[in-house]
Amino acid sequence: MSYDFSWVYEMPPWRLALLMVALFVGYYWIGAIFVRPFLRMLVRRSPGINDLIGYVLSCFCVFYGLLLGLIAVTAYQNFAAADQNVTQEATALSSLYEDVSRYPEPFGQDLRWLLRDYTRYVIKYAWPAQQQGIVPQEGTIRVEALFDRLLDFQPKTKGEEILHAEALRQLNHFLECRRMRLYSVTTGLPASMWYVMFFGAAFNILLCWMFDTKFTTQLVLGGILAAYLGMTMYLIIDMNQPFRGGVSVPVDVFEVLYRRMDDV
Amino acid sequence: MTSPKEARNESPIVRPPRRRTSRRVVLGEGMAATLAASRLLAPSLFVGCSLGIPPRAAEVMIGLLHSQTGPLAIGSTSVRDIETHAVERFNAAGGILGQKVTARSPDTRSRTDLFPRRANELLDAGAVALFGCWSSASRKALLPILEARDTLLFYPVQYGGNETSRHVVYGGQIPNQQVLPAIDWLSSAAGGSRRKIFLLGSDIVSSRTTNFVAKKWLAEKGMTVAGEEYFPLDQVDFAPVVGRIVESGAECILNTVIGDGNIQLFGNLAAKVDAAKVPMLSTSISEDDLRSVPAGLADGHFVLSNYFQTVDIPANREWMAGFRAEFGRDRVFGDTMESAWSLIHLWKQAVEKAGSFATDAVRAAFASGLVFAGPGGPVALDPATQHCSRYFRLGKVRRDKLCDVVRSSEDPIPPDPYPQIAFPGWKCDWTRDGLQRGAEVSIDG
Repeated sequence: MSYDFSWVYEMPPWRLALLMVALFVGYYWIGAIFVRPFLRMLVRRSPGINDLIGYVLSCFCVFYGLLLGLIAVTAYQNFAAADQNVTQEATALSSLYEDVSRYPEPFGQDLRWLLRDYTRYVIKYAWPAQQQGIVPQEGTIRVEALFDRLLDFQPKTKGEEILHAEALRQLNHFLECRRMRLYSVTTGLPASMWYVMFFGAAFNILLCWMFDTKFTTQLVLGGILAAYLGMTMYLIIDMNQPFRGGVSVPVDVFEVLYRRMDDV
Repeated sequence: MTSPKEARNESPIVRPPRRRTSRRVVLGEGMAATLAASRLLAPSLFVGCSLGIPPRAAEVMIGLLHSQTGPLAIGSTSVRDIETHAVERFNAAGGILGQKVTARSPDTRSRTDLFPRRANELLDAGAVALFGCWSSASRKALLPILEARDTLLFYPVQYGGNETSRHVVYGGQIPNQQVLPAIDWLSSAAGGSRRKIFLLGSDIVSSRTTNFVAKKWLAEKGMTVAGEEYFPLDQVDFAPVVGRIVESGAECILNTVIGDGNIQLFGNLAAKVDAAKVPMLSTSISEDDLRSVPAGLADGHFVLSNYFQTVDIPANREWMAGFRAEFGRDRVFGDTMESAWSLIHLWKQAVEKAGSFATDAVRAAFASGLVFAGPGGPVALDPATQHCSRYFRLGKVRRDKLCDVVRSSEDPIPPDPYPQIAFPGWKCDWTRDGLQRGAEVSIDG
């Protein structure tokens, strides 16, 4: 049975960050109040227990910190790759628009309209769908219409042949980038990684509960650690899906392109 | 007298017991503080348990059935765009009955067999009404589905008439609003008092029905048919038929060919026929479609329509400006776009009057007499036939592929899907006794 956590991406980023911090700090404090007394019963009579726990915790933190760091980097790299890919798609679309603008009429006008229609669709419909984790469907129809119309054109001069070949090359590049964008709509960390991350955080906190310190010190120091864990989790969650949440790939390159298309 | 010591005993200084910070106290206070903090944070974190997630507006979905690839894509894509534009404007103004309208537009690929399949998919997905179709065959293919699933189709294209379905609202011109006034004009001095007409068409129901009605009216007017030919939708060579037109001595051509075939037809015609001597009157081509005809080939020919981009009225200027601001400054408009725009607004009016998206309620609202101020003039929905009143306009193609309106009806012409000259005894009134059948008529006869 799986539970859909996608609602977290619909929250404003600051609320998600606050929620994650509250969740981790709350978990730490509640555990410190209710679980810690039982844990300490197991270890309180052992001499030098704090040193032992400190040693285990630092070993654990090395591995856990590495895991968390690498996952955060991977999530950022996924996000950056999706961002770069979107820029490339818009660039290829722009070049294609320039090429077809030099086609004889009515092909030139038809192809310009189709390209503008595609760009408008991406801005108005595809992006909002992607932000909900939905792979937009009707863009494919627009691409097929564009492809069909481009292939209808039969070059009559050497110049038109070269122009047509270049337009087809740009079209293929654009299609490649588009496919990559659609793949990355549903990209994200696998469930097993999330389990390891959250259980790791739980164990981390569990070890901290075992420290033999004053209760208030436990609450303050543990709370700070839990808050930072919560922030890190927030960052990974927010970057996990490139088109969702507060840290997401913006549509502005397409918006700039669309405005420019209408000026050409 | 009491001694000082006794006095001290009588009124001893009572020190408050020193409060020990026991684990129990800290736990209790910690718990209280946690609860207080939760209570303080709750309003901002968990407002109505929404976590700040914006509430989703209620949505209602409509289906747009258009061919975005294939030979019919040339006009259908623009119709899809204008319907999308209408939906976006509805939503910008708060939606319909407080619900956001979403439009799904699958590709029917200019294939008649795909229209029913896509329609079923849209209805399965929850579409409350369908808009679109192009050829009459595609519309007719949908009728069993519309009846079985009690849904309305809003059909924007001109067609040959001879049909009334309670599940279809027809927005385009029918012969009594298009071809018959055109024949009247051709027979008049202004139209050159022409007597011999060649009938060309696509091999589809609409073309054959239109020409059937036209032949009856031509005979009534004492005019003759110089020839009559039909072609498949993907026909690309019209040179042989142009040769036969020339040989027949036709004085005019009535063209009901639909789709891309018109481009080649104009090309073949320009090679052998002078538009000033033998003009072609086309029923299924608009200024939007004329873009695809190479420059100069259509000059001087005529287009029969209810709307032209050149109609100079404020509603048209405002409509074109609004669409171009969203979809591009060089967009061109056609009569099917205008019909589609009017139909979707008539649907909105009906839904708002009915207070419901349910088919029966919407249909009942038609009886209230819906009129929409369209870009081409007022469009009234006739509840008896579920067809619209339309202007007759005759446009002469200019060098820039726009049309000058050379003749126009004074007012919108009420629809008559069964002209008695062609379909004697047939009539329809959905507000009273429905369809009354006359004698069986064979349009091939």
